[in-house]
Amino acid sequence: MSVLRLENLKYKYPASSRFALNDISFTVEKGEFVGIVGMNTAGKTTLCYALSGLVPHFFKGAYGGDVYIGDMDVLTHEISEITANVGLVFENPFSQMTGAKFTVYDEIAFGLENQGIPRDVMHERIRESMRLLDIEELQEKNPFSLSGGQMQRVAIASVIAMKPDVLILDEPTSQLDPEGTEEVFHVIEKLAQEGMTIIMAEQKMEKLAEYADRILLMHNGKLIEDGTPEEIFSRDDLNDFGVEPPVYAKIARTLGMRDDATGLYPISLTQMPANLDIQFAPEVESRLKEKDTAELIVRNLHFGYEKGQDVINGLNVSLQGEPIAIIGQNGAGKTTFVKLLKALLKPDAGEIELDGTLISKTTAAALASRIGLIFQNPNDQIFKNTVIDEVMFGPLNIGQSKEEALANANKMLTLVGLLEKADENPYDLSLAERKMVAMASILAMNTDVVIFDEPTIGQDSRGKAKVKEIIDLLYEQGKLVICILHDMDFVAETFGRTIIFSNGKMLFDGLTRTAFAQEEALRIARVEQPHITKLVRSLGYEQIVLKESEFLARSTAGN
Amino acid sequence: MNNMTLYVQRDSPVHRVDPLTKLLFVFISIASTYLVSDHLVVLGILLFTFAILLTGKVFKSILPVIGVSFLLIASIIIVQGFFHPDRTTVLFEVGPFSIYKEGFSIAFLITLRVVNMVSAFGVLILTTKPDDLVEALLQKGLSPRFGYVLLSVLQIIPQMVALTGKITDAQRARGMETEGGLWMRFKSFLPLLGPVVLNSLTETRERSIALEIRGFNRKGKRTFLNETEDYRYGIPLRIALVAFFITVIVWRVIS
Repeated sequence: MSVLRLENLKYKYPASSRFALNDISFTVEKGEFVGIVGMNTAGKTTLCYALSGLVPHFFKGAYGGDVYIGDMDVLTHEISEITANVGLVFENPFSQMTGAKFTVYDEIAFGLENQGIPRDVMHERIRESMRLLDIEELQEKNPFSLSGGQMQRVAIASVIAMKPDVLILDEPTSQLDPEGTEEVFHVIEKLAQEGMTIIMAEQKMEKLAEYADRILLMHNGKLIEDGTPEEIFSRDDLNDFGVEPPVYAKIARTLGMRDDATGLYPISLTQMPANLDIQFAPEVESRLKEKDTAELIVRNLHFGYEKGQDVINGLNVSLQGEPIAIIGQNGAGKTTFVKLLKALLKPDAGEIELDGTLISKTTAAALASRIGLIFQNPNDQIFKNTVIDEVMFGPLNIGQSKEEALANANKMLTLVGLLEKADENPYDLSLAERKMVAMASILAMNTDVVIFDEPTIGQDSRGKAKVKEIIDLLYEQGKLVICILHDMDFVAETFGRTIIFSNGKMLFDGLTRTAFAQEEALRIARVEQPHITKLVRSLGYEQIVLKESEFLARSTAGN
Repeated sequence: MNNMTLYVQRDSPVHRVDPLTKLLFVFISIASTYLVSDHLVVLGILLFTFAILLTGKVFKSILPVIGVSFLLIASIIIVQGFFHPDRTTVLFEVGPFSIYKEGFSIAFLITLRVVNMVSAFGVLILTTKPDDLVEALLQKGLSPRFGYVLLSVLQIIPQMVALTGKITDAQRARGMETEGGLWMRFKSFLPLLGPVVLNSLTETRERSIALEIRGFNRKGKRTFLNETEDYRYGIPLRIALVAFFITVIVWRVIS
């Protein structure tokens, strides 16, 4: 019998007129790995909620059709019974910790205590799931003191310990850095090999192409196709659904390498034909016209949150001209650095100059009209009750008139595509939309310098394209753009200059193409090359290739 | 970042006392000061509470809390000192105003009671891990929902402080001046309240999903990971506390 069965599932959130899930039917067999893809509004998260009973029991709303877990009907059972069979892990690792327990070991026990599992079995299960998730050494730590990747593994361990038949993962790595992402995927792979039934919504298509047996393509609450990764990623209309195929399929498409018999593209390295001869044409010119921008000069900058522990350690850099990417692991000091630039923190030593005037002595508020900083987590930034008030807050503070501020706010909301939501409460928007609101609220201040902290987190491929468009536009207006990023593909696509950060120091500062050739620096900073760069390398070529458009043509020998 | 609690990790005999005994202590200590209206006895109880805080090596941590409650205490002294209905004896005069002895005496008693209440709670909260306290209560049959609420309340103050920091940064980053004199700080404090509460509510919703999927609302018997270690001196301590309390009640009735 199938582990999961959906029949014509329809669902509307309360106070919403549109179907979040519209007539979905599929089955999942034991041991299968099923991927869910689609853009942010496709209904992936809602589907995950429906599979774990949160829809309809927690969220209420209008519900039709049937969901069976084994032979259990979701509609007539309580969440606690359902979650005994279905484990759910979601995006934000922080909010999955119960807050009721103060060590990792106790945190994992929480669900088991609720289930009334006998004590000796409990200890056994906790140890077993810690071993599986590779978190044994964390057992005495406080869950909130862990890194995102570690926390997410604790979250998975906590649901695995409850011995569910199915594990549902809703974009489990979207808020993690590359290292955390690798940690989590590593354990997911391990679980899949152990025969766990897994359903995973994900934006990182390379991973799904690697693991998934089947992929569900969703759009506007509908199931568009239920097929193999090859079938899904070979669709010509993927872009219409806001889904970007994995890099292998993308390149294969550019090079026209469709398999003659099946009509499908290769989606992984092993499927690539061996006898390729690819020509490259690296873009030498910057894709943007040169512009004069504001200039930030940093001299011998030192900063530590605690005495004797420098987070920023003697930094010297001049920032001006084309948009600059800052890459490096979590804890490398990137966010601290931009907070210093913005005067939210005061340097212990050294100075920062903006167009010749020292800024390290002024207050953040006084700098607001010159330097804008968009926080990584929009929830740390948003505090007004309507989107429009939120966006107008900054402009009004720096002395724009009401009319001016409103005009600016409307312009920026149009730019980020949220004008029609101007009167809504920001807390009712999705994370990706809130990030856009946070962005608009800084852009509306029309500052000379704009700093982004992780703008692509939580964005689907359309959102990323929008961010890129905004960055280009800002530079065109003569603004200095500095951007902290974990998404190396995005860095390769968008930035001409890249700084590699590690331990409060710069390991490299220069052309992006040269940056991704610095294997030693990348290794120390624990960042990987962009997928496309790795792909070209693994095919046996020496070049550093950054974009699809750099592939010219191919001639295959003897095919 | 850590779980945010007021708990102070130390190695002391007070830390080793089981949560329920400490809870009993809080109740009896506070109730006694209200049963008795003799200044010396109340002062004695307060000094005893202080002694426990000192033994628990957490006396320093209670001082800011007492400091904050002095705002309340000052207003008590003023109101009682000036306006107590039985005012006859002038204690001293401040300009045209007279402070009366009767009122001042009452105000002093109330002050002792308030400080003792704050300190007694301090004994419980500063030396007991919140999860230990809640677990002890759950094992005694407290509903898990209520236990969770209690736990959240215990964490709410430090959480608010952390959140306030984040939102202040967000406001400064967009040109709102928060640095500067006392008045500036006060002015910038008010707009903070809305977002702080709103943000907490959002977090609460996500957290409650996390609890749901871990079967928090399951009906039926629960088990506990940790065995309750019986605290060696728990019973004698509790007997002593109850005996003291009975003495206080008896003394109050007969005097």
